[in-house]
Amino acid sequence: MMRVFERYFPVIALIAPLLIIVFVIQQTGSSNVRYVATEALLRLSFAVALYIFAGNSGIMSFGHMTFCAIAAYASAWQTCCTLLKPITMSGLPSFLRDNTFSLLPAALNSIGLAGAAAFLSGLVLMRLSSLGASISTLALMFILNVVYSNWTSVTMGKSTIVGLPVYVSIWVALGFAILLIIIAYLYQNSRWGLMLRATREDEVAASASGVSLYWSRVIAFTLSGFGAGLAGVLYAHFMGTVSISTFFLDQTFLIVAMLVVGGMQSLAGAVVGVTFISVVIEVFRRAEAGFAVGGMDMSIPRGSQELILAAVMLLILIFRKSGIMGGREIAWPWLKKDLGKRDAKARGSKQTDPSSPLAQGSAKA
Amino acid sequence: MNKSQKKTLEANDIHVDFGGIKALGGVTLTLNSGDVLGLIGPNGAGKTTMVNVLSGFQKPKPGWVKVDGEDVSTLSARKMAQVGIARSFQAARLFRGLTVLQNLVIAGLGIGMSSKAATKQARDILDWMGYRGGHDRQCSALPYSDERRISIARALALQPSFALLDEPASGMNEEECEHLMETIVNIPKHFGCGVMLIEHNMQVIMGVCNRIHVLDGGKSLAEGTPEEVKKDPNVLRAYLGEKNTRDDAVI
Amino acid sequence: MTYFIQVLIDAISLGSLYALVALAIGLVFGVMRLINFAQADYITIGAYSLVIPTASITPPLLLGALPAVAMVISVVAVVTVLALLTERLAFRPLRSSDPTTLLISSFAVSYFLQSLIILVHGGRPKTVSIGDSLTGAVEMLGVRIPGVQLLTMAVALTLLICLVLFLKKTPMGVQLRAAAEDFQMARLLGVPANKVIAIAFAISGLLGGTISLLFVVQTGTLDIKIGMMPTVYAFFATVIGGIGSLPGAVLGGYIVGIISVLLQSYLPEEMRAFRDAGVFSLVILILLMRPQGLLATKASKERV
Repeated sequence: MMRVFERYFPVIALIAPLLIIVFVIQQTGSSNVRYVATEALLRLSFAVALYIFAGNSGIMSFGHMTFCAIAAYASAWQTCCTLLKPITMSGLPSFLRDNTFSLLPAALNSIGLAGAAAFLSGLVLMRLSSLGASISTLALMFILNVVYSNWTSVTMGKSTIVGLPVYVSIWVALGFAILLIIIAYLYQNSRWGLMLRATREDEVAASASGVSLYWSRVIAFTLSGFGAGLAGVLYAHFMGTVSISTFFLDQTFLIVAMLVVGGMQSLAGAVVGVTFISVVIEVFRRAEAGFAVGGMDMSIPRGSQELILAAVMLLILIFRKSGIMGGREIAWPWLKKDLGKRDAKARGSKQTDPSSPLAQGSAKA
Repeated sequence: MNKSQKKTLEANDIHVDFGGIKALGGVTLTLNSGDVLGLIGPNGAGKTTMVNVLSGFQKPKPGWVKVDGEDVSTLSARKMAQVGIARSFQAARLFRGLTVLQNLVIAGLGIGMSSKAATKQARDILDWMGYRGGHDRQCSALPYSDERRISIARALALQPSFALLDEPASGMNEEECEHLMETIVNIPKHFGCGVMLIEHNMQVIMGVCNRIHVLDGGKSLAEGTPEEVKKDPNVLRAYLGEKNTRDDAVI
Repeated sequence: MTYFIQVLIDAISLGSLYALVALAIGLVFGVMRLINFAQADYITIGAYSLVIPTASITPPLLLGALPAVAMVISVVAVVTVLALLTERLAFRPLRSSDPTTLLISSFAVSYFLQSLIILVHGGRPKTVSIGDSLTGAVEMLGVRIPGVQLLTMAVALTLLICLVLFLKKTPMGVQLRAAAEDFQMARLLGVPANKVIAIAFAISGLLGGTISLLFVVQTGTLDIKIGMMPTVYAFFATVIGGIGSLPGAVLGGYIVGIISVLLQSYLPEEMRAFRDAGVFSLVILILLMRPQGLLATKASKERV
């Protein structure tokens, strides 16, 4: 039992605090705080999905919002606007235009679509070098943006689709965030995850060790696309609206900043980064809205939030490139002592150690 | 891990041209399972290029490479690893953000082993090598000589038929070299593969190799047993004026 | 036939513009392995320097109020200084970082600059009228060409030729080109790193400033995203031309510009809005067929 706990400690150490925070917010927070927290949890889902690919491969995907958008719109087509659809989205195929589907199958279909899109685009993009792939993911997002913005008969173009059923409460958001965190952790310690991390460390040595750069990247990109699709569906059914402009550069920058500040190379980094920046953003939002200091009403100018965020991101890149978590997971504090014991045991007997230390991640040595 | 099959790696008339600079001008050599072949030569002789050709990082033009008669000249580096040709790098090139164990496990995964089998193999190799530094130590925290040993271990984790080691002794002190020599000598016995060793350190070369191939300016200068090569006039001439003591290790 | 000539002129005009931006990006990439997203904001800031920072959508002119020559020089100077500042403060400390870090950092610098503009000028598009005398059209070869487009073409081609001459004939230019195509080798041969990188940025600033003026004259609007589209096109141009190759960047710029105009001119009416999507898709297609770009250099291969 202890073995299992130790092995999964890095992920338990992330989930437990989240559970506690959400519980506290649910009990004591205003509906505004709950709203902000839910939004942060949704961003966390997207960040973790992006991390699955970008963190493990070392290749930043600037266009990951593409998969969110695909899933969000797909869910909207299936679940929204029964009466208006034939008018506002007349270009949809009849099975979509004339029907409404229940939420779970709709969500699964949408996520599946996003994942399929990620797989197909991954097959294409991962043939390129890491730089070429990064830039091409950006191209992908631009392509989708242009197409969805102008295909008015199907997507309502730049207009917002309203009226989606809202079912994402803070607990739903938390549940799925936790699910993605667990999936990410399992993946990064799986055979494909480990091989992908090798390619991140050294492409040449990875090839020389028999690792396929192409397939390890395609698999991660696809899994990551499913995750982004999930985040997209959740976001759509949290806001109740879908608009192509939300899935573009501004949101992308925010999530990338979160990953950079927290540390792109570990799951803990993604979680810490999102949490930290979400709090900072909220503080700024209130400051911009105005607050009272000693009887005086003050506020900071609009737009300063993004400015400071960008500046912080740059400072982190310059002075602590690996982010707050430094690319490490949260390690079991007694790990160091146990290391010695386990190695001695392994050297003493030639028996197979049943718990694979693969799961320790980059523990502090 | 013990291979009873005898294999042969042949490289024939290897030419490599870097836009006007002839790195290799027609080199032919053979490596057999169980052999420890030394590849030596002055700086710029083409040794690393030769290893690159044999491990799939460089295509010879013209020339071919065959494993047991099968042409592997055009295989990618990755395929070469899977076909049984492993190499270590002059710069070690460990996966620094990962642990020692993970580095070896990845090689096992690379040739298609299951996670469990790859892990067991990794531990076995580290034990065989006498590595006492802790399997879960992060490679970025390793001392220099351990880095080189782990990179050899990682190459061996590929269950190779042929292990090409690129200057593993560089930067090592006398004691570390002795340990390295012991390790290398035991590789064919324990793993059943052939070893090609590139080295500047003559003590190591003379101590472990049963055959030596000498390169100079991209061409073969001599080949034979250590005694034969030591006395070869061409070899002596090529090395004249160049100090080749143990200290000449770092390029 | 006249339609075709019109299209041809459009294509060369736009192609030259993209080639210029692609060259700016290619130069900086060559000396630093940095794809400078902030190039978009150099252009935008150049444009905004024409007006006084107010919340108004018809702001009074700042640099735009100066007589033509002074205006051009001052705008270009502003952008060049900006480019050099970003190099000194943001990019120099990151000089030896890996490509992903550099990419993300240029993203951050770009966002910083954009936020700065929003803070100072507000986020709404503004109208500006400069160069009114150019709105008339000129009759040439039986085609009516807007004065503005003639100007764009003339300026772009002139700059391009000057730049090529600079890179090929002047000692500094030759050093810059050598550094852009193989930085390590150039350093070994004694080319001063700081100076060369600074010049690359200065050139990208100069080009950015010029382009911003051309855009404002052409469109009469100021938008925070004014620099984004040409820069995005330019990235893709550099990538398809061959990362690390300066002639490749120019070639890529022309290809992207020409294809863009061709699609715009010859696609059926309903499809025109999807023109950009078409260009981007083509970029991905070209990359698939030739991942290293059309005119790849040996500098792009890693030494084993």
